[in-house]
Amino acid sequence: MIYDYDIREGEEEGEQEVATLNPDKEYAHAKAFLQKASSATGENLYDHLSDVLNKILAEKPENIIDFFEEYSRKVKERRYRSALDHLEDIYVPKQRYELSTKTMALFKPIKMEEPSTVDPGDLELADMSQNNMLLLLFYFEQAGLGIPRAQMFSLIVAMKKLIHSQPIASIRFWGIIYGLYHNYYIVETDLKEEEYMRRNESFHAEPTGEGDEAVAETAPTEVDIPHKITGEDEITMRLHQLAHEQQLGEDSKFPRVLPPLPLSLYEPDPKVPSEPSGVGVNSKVYYVTTDLTGTWEQLPDCTPEEIRIARQIYKAFTGNLDQEIITYPEFPGKERNLLRVQIARISAGTHISPLGYYTFGGETGGEGEEEEGGDEEAEGPKTSYRVNPKYDPVPLKDLTDGSMSFWVHHVQYILPQGRTSWWSPIPAPEEPDEAEAEDLAEEDEDEKPKMAGPEPETGPPLLTPLSEDAQIESIPAWSARISSSIIEEFALGIVRSHLWPGAYCFATQGKLFQNIYFGNGLKYIVTNFSPTPLPPIQQDYPQGPEIMEMFDPTGAEEEEWRIAHLPKPKPVGPEEGEEEEVEEEEEEDEDDDDD
Amino acid sequence: MNLESVLGTLESLGYVGHTISTEEGIILHNSLMILQNENHFRNTFFWGRIFGVEKDYYIAFGYVKDVLKGRVFYYSIDCINWGLLPNPTIHAKKVTPFCNTKFQGDPSLVIDVLIEKEEISWDEPLKKAIMQRLKEEDRLSVTVHTITYEASVVPRGGLFMRPDGVAVENLSFEGLTLLDSRELSSYQHYRLPIQKWNTNLLTRDDYNYATDFLDPLDIDIPEGCWPVQILAGDTVAIVKSLYWPGLYFYHTVETPKYGFIYFGTGKKCLDTTFMLLPST
Repeated sequence: MIYDYDIREGEEEGEQEVATLNPDKEYAHAKAFLQKASSATGENLYDHLSDVLNKILAEKPENIIDFFEEYSRKVKERRYRSALDHLEDIYVPKQRYELSTKTMALFKPIKMEEPSTVDPGDLELADMSQNNMLLLLFYFEQAGLGIPRAQMFSLIVAMKKLIHSQPIASIRFWGIIYGLYHNYYIVETDLKEEEYMRRNESFHAEPTGEGDEAVAETAPTEVDIPHKITGEDEITMRLHQLAHEQQLGEDSKFPRVLPPLPLSLYEPDPKVPSEPSGVGVNSKVYYVTTDLTGTWEQLPDCTPEEIRIARQIYKAFTGNLDQEIITYPEFPGKERNLLRVQIARISAGTHISPLGYYTFGGETGGEGEEEEGGDEEAEGPKTSYRVNPKYDPVPLKDLTDGSMSFWVHHVQYILPQGRTSWWSPIPAPEEPDEAEAEDLAEEDEDEKPKMAGPEPETGPPLLTPLSEDAQIESIPAWSARISSSIIEEFALGIVRSHLWPGAYCFATQGKLFQNIYFGNGLKYIVTNFSPTPLPPIQQDYPQGPEIMEMFDPTGAEEEEWRIAHLPKPKPVGPEEGEEEEVEEEEEEDEDDDDD
Repeated sequence: MNLESVLGTLESLGYVGHTISTEEGIILHNSLMILQNENHFRNTFFWGRIFGVEKDYYIAFGYVKDVLKGRVFYYSIDCINWGLLPNPTIHAKKVTPFCNTKFQGDPSLVIDVLIEKEEISWDEPLKKAIMQRLKEEDRLSVTVHTITYEASVVPRGGLFMRPDGVAVENLSFEGLTLLDSRELSSYQHYRLPIQKWNTNLLTRDDYNYATDFLDPLDIDIPEGCWPVQILAGDTVAIVKSLYWPGLYFYHTVETPKYGFIYFGTGKKCLDTTFMLLPST
């Protein structure tokens, strides 16, 4: 009521009112009211308003009238937030502190086990000169990719630590696979020769044959699978025993001879042996970590079976290497195996290089001449290549050409069988194959298996241009972009895979190029994923009178049968007679068998 | 993603592997600023990038008064010239879900979409397979609107419902607390709510209509289709959509920095249920 009060007006209207409306007194009253403490909280509006006004004036937000309530509430909330409700004072949030502690541990100098005996130059450490991640990040950023700079820096340090602790001959950052809960940082390495030899020695030492080695390769499944098989065997043995009892007839408790139990006719496909370490799909060894400040874990080599099944499933990664993969068809392994398989598939599909950067030349020995013979080139592809010293950088215009004929694959295609070189299921050619594989382990990775099978699977040879890649529903498998339309002098050529979303490759106008994968590890599917249907149900009992439905005999028929069976057994009813004959025959057969 | 945060995305979007390059960022920042001025937008956002075969589409949107109503979308293939994205037509809305080719990068391209005879999600039973024509611009519009409707995210408290019923950006938003940022219910759909107003309030204990008028993300099924990751020592929250791979929401915990962006092919992933772990 005193808002519009004007002193002059008051004077004109009457002096009595002026006397009652003493502004000082009104002010004191109002202030006293506002300062009245709430009976519930002990707060008062006067202090609150002055706090709010104070905050507003200090922060001077725009359009404050729209958010006045929000401000008021915040000021109130803050008053009740106690900062000292911990037993121990907290200065930095716990996780943040942990991260800092771990990061600082990463930056400590690497401790040498034998500090003095070996000259640092003779350590034979992997070459890190290609792994200046901050330089690569500079290019990734231009390509629209990148991970935070601090992580990139930690990555260099983490990779440096890795090459000191593991027998690694060369190392490269492969990319990241983003999981649901954690993300995998992946590095691709070549191990040292001795290490591959050591692994392959144990690979061939197994006397049981190659099929078992595939199991042995994947350590976690090794325990599970034999157990499962013996479990099944027990069940089938028991069943057969039961069937045998039933068929014995007289002294068993079953009144009537039953038809034999059906036998499972399912025969699993012959197990394709996996490629030894350092060859084909296992030519590289991968280390992953979900935390750059943590330890790296080596992924197991992949088997052809895993590759074939991984092609039929569609499962997101969780970020936990020991996660069970629950799918149909059953995936033989944990998430670490699936991760390894997907890495192999992605590498085979998307690792590309500019035309001419790698060359087959080099092994000009007898082996190269052998290969000259006609179609061998297409069927038995060369598996090794080296950097071309005379490489002349491909012009940017060609690199970003839509035809993609200036980019080539430099990782071998994985055949439908799950290997890069075809293995014949017919046992005869296995011997030379194995012998050769042994040779391979000793020599470099020059694999030339004899194509002896009926229809060997073939894939495109190494260093095939991308223009030969299959199209997905009339869409090319790749797209090329130029990173900058304004500063073409420094622009990069960027190639993006449509088949594996997240796979990129960039090439500068110099000799630098890099493949990278930042994605969720799943292949692009044109239509939606549909799981493999279950196989058709097999027929268990042969069609016959034992399992046919038939009418119950009437009383008259039963009586007739009884009479017929009383003095001398003579077949009467047509169906019963048949059944009896069959049963008799079966009994006879079994007696023969038993004898 | 707010126009101001288009520059320097490495520290926010870097956690998902995709960023906006420096050149793109500078061009986007300036060209969208001009767009904002021309259209009298209160605020402009960079929406994301749809990867095409020949060209990529850059999408931006702005609003004049209400954040949720009357958003205007623009698209560009070079970040410089922006064209108004038409509103989705009924025909395009019907045909787009059947279109499984990639975007080409040419808005005037007309493609034929084959609808199989056995198709059951078409509105009427078909006697034989039919061809439907679809212009890429219309398809783009439907895709962008669908993604915005289904998968765009805002943190709880990021938008504020004024007493006059206009939703505005909350200027006093100070970020989610660490505990809240782990909860899926602290993230909301950036769209006009489709649930009843009191449903969204009653699902919370500490409700406040001014901030809880939007649908929370945890109404979406199946559970787990919005993975939340808290990274970098509990300082950055990343929310991804499994239905729209490439849709990322980032929020720096306890700061008002947040935004969503889409880097993808514009194809909905209907395989989410196969990808998730079976619930125990």
